[in-house]
Amino acid sequence: MSRTKKSSKGRVKESASSTPTDVAPQNAGDSAEAHQQQVAARIRAGLFAIFAAVSVFITSGSFGVDGNFAFWSDSIGGEQVFFSVPVALLWGIVSFGFIAITLLQLLRGAKFAWRASIGIIAPALVIALLARLLDGTTANLTVFFTSTLSFAIPVGIGALAGIVSERSGILNIAVEGKLLSGAMVGSIASSITGVAIAGPVAGALIGALLSLFLAWLGIRYKVDQIIAGTVINIGALGITSFAYLRILQPYSEYNRPIGIDTVDIPLLSHIPILGPIFFSLSPYFYASVGLILFFTYMIYRTRWGLRLRAAGEQPSAAGTVGVDVVKLRYRAMLIAGLLAGFAGSYIALSGTGGFGINTSAGKGFIALAAVIFGAWNPIYAFGAALIFGMTSAATTLLSGLGVSLPPQILLSMPYIVTIIVVAGLIGRVRAPASAGRPYDQG
Amino acid sequence: MNRIGAMASKLRVPALSIFVALFIGALFIIFTDVEVLGRLLSDPIGALGLGVGRAATAYSALLRGAFGDPETIGKALASGGDVQLWARALRPIVESVVASVPLIFVGLGVSVAFRTGIFNIGGAGQYTMGAVGGTLAALIFGGGVTPAPIAIILVMIFGLIGGALWAFIPGFLKARVGASEVITTIMLNFIAAQFVFFLVSNVEFIQKPPRIQPVSKELSQFVDLPGILPIESLRLDIGIIVALLTAVAVSWFLFRSTRGFELRTAGLNIAAAKYAGMGAASSIITAMLISGAISGLGGALVAVGTVKQLSPGIAGSVGFTAIAIALVGGTRPSGVVATALVFGLLQHGGSLMQVTTSIPIEMLLFIQALVIAFIAAPELTLGIVKNPFVRRSKSVTK
Repeated sequence: MSRTKKSSKGRVKESASSTPTDVAPQNAGDSAEAHQQQVAARIRAGLFAIFAAVSVFITSGSFGVDGNFAFWSDSIGGEQVFFSVPVALLWGIVSFGFIAITLLQLLRGAKFAWRASIGIIAPALVIALLARLLDGTTANLTVFFTSTLSFAIPVGIGALAGIVSERSGILNIAVEGKLLSGAMVGSIASSITGVAIAGPVAGALIGALLSLFLAWLGIRYKVDQIIAGTVINIGALGITSFAYLRILQPYSEYNRPIGIDTVDIPLLSHIPILGPIFFSLSPYFYASVGLILFFTYMIYRTRWGLRLRAAGEQPSAAGTVGVDVVKLRYRAMLIAGLLAGFAGSYIALSGTGGFGINTSAGKGFIALAAVIFGAWNPIYAFGAALIFGMTSAATTLLSGLGVSLPPQILLSMPYIVTIIVVAGLIGRVRAPASAGRPYDQG
Repeated sequence: MNRIGAMASKLRVPALSIFVALFIGALFIIFTDVEVLGRLLSDPIGALGLGVGRAATAYSALLRGAFGDPETIGKALASGGDVQLWARALRPIVESVVASVPLIFVGLGVSVAFRTGIFNIGGAGQYTMGAVGGTLAALIFGGGVTPAPIAIILVMIFGLIGGALWAFIPGFLKARVGASEVITTIMLNFIAAQFVFFLVSNVEFIQKPPRIQPVSKELSQFVDLPGILPIESLRLDIGIIVALLTAVAVSWFLFRSTRGFELRTAGLNIAAAKYAGMGAASSIITAMLISGAISGLGGALVAVGTVKQLSPGIAGSVGFTAIAIALVGGTRPSGVVATALVFGLLQHGGSLMQVTTSIPIEMLLFIQALVIAFIAAPELTLGIVKNPFVRRSKSVTK
């Protein structure tokens, strides 16, 4: 017995040393860090320059092509407003933007707010790319925006869950499993009770339960948090698929949730064009915007947030001044679980199909990428989720219109972007220093 | 200390984990049975009896699927040398071994990375890319272009390269810029599946005519791996032998070679390894290359020999299962092989269970998750079995 114990403890240590926490040593010489940042800034400038050159090249080849777009003017599915823009103009704007960003990056070096500038240019780039690929076919942009959001909502809230738990010092790769469980339980609860609100509530609760289980394994038994997360991901996939095939498929009345419909905000939803895009959306969207803002405030502006961040960075220091790190981590995991399960319920309740096998399809992992891309900041992470959502929406739109581009390439984009982001080629991000490390309370 | 005692104590946690997980699985079968649930309130004892009966039927189907039907085996024994009867009697156990071949490869691959302190979740992607390599080699060099033995060797080499290349990306990124291998390998799994989808639906050289389905051409027309059993209809090919040889090689490498020692040192304490002058970056990259190459070799052999076709879902859940196997087997090659055989039995038995009792094989994923949890928290496992109602001592908690 003693031997097995020892070897398993050895494993915990082994991979604790390999968690992403040691991305950037905190106190390693300041000058070395400054130098690294300088290098990263130059790499960014180089990448922006490449993009600028490509954009100029595309612009020169796009004269005479029109990008045809449409919006729904009064309501979804109602009257369409058509307009067309010369593709060359769109690409001209994008080229100009990239040249400006390149120059600013070169001039301002490490201080340049490159994340925000990517956030500004990315939508323009996606639209220009769409226009170019459509090659004259008309695309409805309202559909494009809503489909962006339907991807970004679960990813964005999932990312928020990741941020809350990792800020507290628990590495959370189990977002995917929680999304999946939230989706199934949400669908079942909504179908059985016939009450719309039961779906999100039940989804959030199951997410919280799994999250506490993860915390329990990680805190009480000091199971490596990556392994514990893997347990939840595999287990959730197994249980939900099993239950789907055994119960939900033969008795489909348990999988006919009350869909959460879009709500029209009075007055605002009647604004032409903008109304259907921004003020006639799923309540989940408004909830996620509220949650993102709320947690941004909580993390950076309250005592709770300060303690949370302290527990994730230097739990021993936080413990010394009297913060109950273990309790705080459990609570943070509870919140993270509620959020992730809530996000999962959206997947099953927003569409028409209810729950399906592996219905989250990797969104939980993309959420982790959004966490890293957003440097553990809720607003940036939601921005990243929107960008990933646009890639996915563009893929759906293009394949629906029969554009001859292998959809697999576009479908891989979020994953490829994620790798580039995680690799930190465009600038290092620093994880909470103690995320993934077990904490011994004296 | 006597050896048998040492063995027994080593096996205690893994064996207990699997049994407890199977027991919980049985509870799951009982309490997801709609008929049982429906009668639970009106006739609890009858309902539970029904449920236990169902679970027993399911597990006995699983055992028959894994090892074979005693009745058929008896007939084969009675007949003496009737080849057909023997084939039928032996098929389940042989198929279980066939099912364990990919698990041995990916389990070994993942173990090498784990030993070096790298949590390589990319077994599925590396296996898939190995299958791509093997498929390409079979299509290019098979079908009489080169003599059969050379074609087979080329299939293996291409598989090795495919897997190693796919593992090099996260290894390099981890070593050079500290990118978390957990995220990068997961992403590469998705990309590999999309890449295969692209190949088998867009490339004429690979896609099966008349190019409707997203699958590759039948590979058995190009390369056929020789079987190793005297009964022809039992499809156990040289893949299992290569798998066992790989296990021996990995064992030698990890525990007898200098490089293996360096990798294990890096896994145990990266700071100490650096202090002793062992390059941490090169250890990480080496471990990932070896890890990916082994998984890739498995992908190539299974795609060409067993499945005989490349398709986007070729890896299935092998990546997940491999993690469970590596942990249960204590990341030791002998342990990995033994555990992979057990999981192979479960897998093939599970497929028969699904056919005869319509209990989805997905249950195995759940059981694997439980096994991983129990292995990772041995106190939990021993606690459950020893004294389920007494709380464990406080020393574990705080």
